[in-house]
Amino acid sequence: MNQHSTITSSYSGLRSISMLPLARSFVTVVLSTVVLIIVCSIFAPSSVSLGALEGSLPFAAVIAIVGLGQLLVVQQGGFDLSLPGAVSLAVVVSTHYPQQDNSLLPMAVVVALGFALVAGVINGILVSIFNLNAIIATIGVNALLYGAVFAVSGGVPSITTTLLAEIAGGTTFGIPNSVFFAAAALMVVSFMLKKTVMGRRFEAIGANPLAAQAVGLQVRRHQMMAYVLAQLLYCMAGILISGITREPTAFQGDTLLLPSVAVVVLGGTSLLGGRGYPISTVIAAFFLNQLSQFALAVGVPYSAQTIIQALALGFGIGVYSVRWTGNSSKQTKNVKMEDTNDLQVS
Amino acid sequence: MIYKSLKLAAATAVLALGCANAALADVPSWCGPKKATIALLDGYGGNSWRQVTTASGKQTASLCPSITSYEYADGNGDTQKSISDIKGMAAKGVDALVVFGDAGPAMLPAITSVFKAGKVIVPYRVNVGGKEGENYTKFIGSSFKDDGASWGNWIKGVLPKGGNVLFLSGPAGNSQGLDELAGLKSVLGAEYVFVNPEPFAVTNWDPALTQKVLTAEIAKNAKIDVIVSDFGPSLVGALPLFGKSGKSIPALATSDGNSLGCFWTDVNKDNPDFKLFTVATGNDNVRLAVEHAVAAATGGTPPTEQIFKAPSFEDSTKGNVQCRKDLPGAIYLSSELPADEQAKAVK
Repeated sequence: MNQHSTITSSYSGLRSISMLPLARSFVTVVLSTVVLIIVCSIFAPSSVSLGALEGSLPFAAVIAIVGLGQLLVVQQGGFDLSLPGAVSLAVVVSTHYPQQDNSLLPMAVVVALGFALVAGVINGILVSIFNLNAIIATIGVNALLYGAVFAVSGGVPSITTTLLAEIAGGTTFGIPNSVFFAAAALMVVSFMLKKTVMGRRFEAIGANPLAAQAVGLQVRRHQMMAYVLAQLLYCMAGILISGITREPTAFQGDTLLLPSVAVVVLGGTSLLGGRGYPISTVIAAFFLNQLSQFALAVGVPYSAQTIIQALALGFGIGVYSVRWTGNSSKQTKNVKMEDTNDLQVS
Repeated sequence: MIYKSLKLAAATAVLALGCANAALADVPSWCGPKKATIALLDGYGGNSWRQVTTASGKQTASLCPSITSYEYADGNGDTQKSISDIKGMAAKGVDALVVFGDAGPAMLPAITSVFKAGKVIVPYRVNVGGKEGENYTKFIGSSFKDDGASWGNWIKGVLPKGGNVLFLSGPAGNSQGLDELAGLKSVLGAEYVFVNPEPFAVTNWDPALTQKVLTAEIAKNAKIDVIVSDFGPSLVGALPLFGKSGKSIPALATSDGNSLGCFWTDVNKDNPDFKLFTVATGNDNVRLAVEHAVAAATGGTPPTEQIFKAPSFEDSTKGNVQCRKDLPGAIYLSSELPADEQAKAVK
């Protein structure tokens, strides 16, 4: 009984400490996004027009979903480099298996999810049970997944089914459907991480696996869970891409790996693991996508487009770092206050 | 009875001789009497265009009975692998090599070493630098400038008073896009304004990026009169964006693909401005390269053409857009390879 209450109080303490960094990263990424939108409306108003947003938001939604998956893995101190293979496999399974026959689509989705589960479990076993370096293990699994991509598709693109194009590429109340999928993924991940016992344990383990093991938490199971859930999110993103682009290539996941890590970092999550910021990650996905849309809309040469993106990305991360060091003393004070509040409430 | 049998035998003999003559007559002039083996070396074989091309090359080689084997290697987009593929094939004793040198001049040393070792080697389509007779047997290019000029002439026909042109090509700085632009500009005057960033909007020939680029261009330019793209099928997912902005899809000058033809057939009634013009996407470029390689290896007469010129294929203003809904979207009806065989190749 006594032991139980100690664990509970350390949990509530942990939660309250982590409330503030969430607010800070949230404020930072929202501020950066607002600045970007203001810059867009001055220098490239077309990039924030309704038509442009409707066209680009689906891609932001896809980045947000893969970002959430990467977030879970990064929280456990890992990196998931099997993302390109996972997304591409979901793309080819959901386009090649049905061959434009709507009635086969549900089965294709089930098959894609099956592949995702298997890949997630393999990643999880390699990293959490065999203690392989996450980067090495996931690179290997990525190669396996690409093997499956070639086995399914032969590397050839296939046209998507009309049903999937309608579901993933359509709009409801003028908002692209993929945005709703991203919102749903965000809600599930946020709720699970922040409001369930399992989620709290998950974050505690990410912050310090050794300490977590010492207090009797199932470290391996939670680490494995990160890889499995991440794969399911990649799978969802892949299926959405198949609907958004009418004839996706068999390598559609390749361009998503770097953005997935970038949005996790922009969202304020430490690459060393621990606390994760799902909402900030999703906003960062919008930021990153809007940034590339801005670079396209200003109509400068391709070389300048990439430079603009790099500078703005550096600025986004820079702002975050500056606030981090500048407010450290204030932060400690606030944390203490928050701690007291939390204790009073509980 | 014996007489009857003799008559039958004579008839059979005549028939057999006739067939043999016909078979001899069918042997193309580029196919000489010397036995040889040939290999096609692809830099990157992972899309339907390449698979149709490979099948076309194989079919061309099979027309020559002197060719005893046709081999294929895919570099998987890896320059190192492409180089070792070339050297490996030569070491294996293959007599003639046809090379799609995706990596460009990086392939030249390997090509040169194989040529110096006395093999027939014919790079095609992608310029690898070097000189004929010094680095390789022959280079069979494709006239992208002519494609640009064909598009330009058609645009002049549908938009005689000029207009806003959006030109999309692949990766930044790719020579195909630059050649096509030179062709376009050789025909179109100042009244045709290019609204894309110089020299072309970069799409990497990736349908997702194409969609993003087109979104930005539609938002930025109130009026786009004609889109020019060197990979038509990658636009199929992006063109409906015009409808979402309440505009008609504009005229489109591009290369062909079954999915594009079918898309035009489906939506042209709702999009009055959507006129379509395509040039053949050029799968048959490989045929000319194989013919030259086989001629050099077997002692045949090489074809007189040295550059593949893609013919015009579809023009909606003349009502000849083609669509085969029963076959995959990823085939090219402009290719000489029959559509059903292409469908098998891309499956």
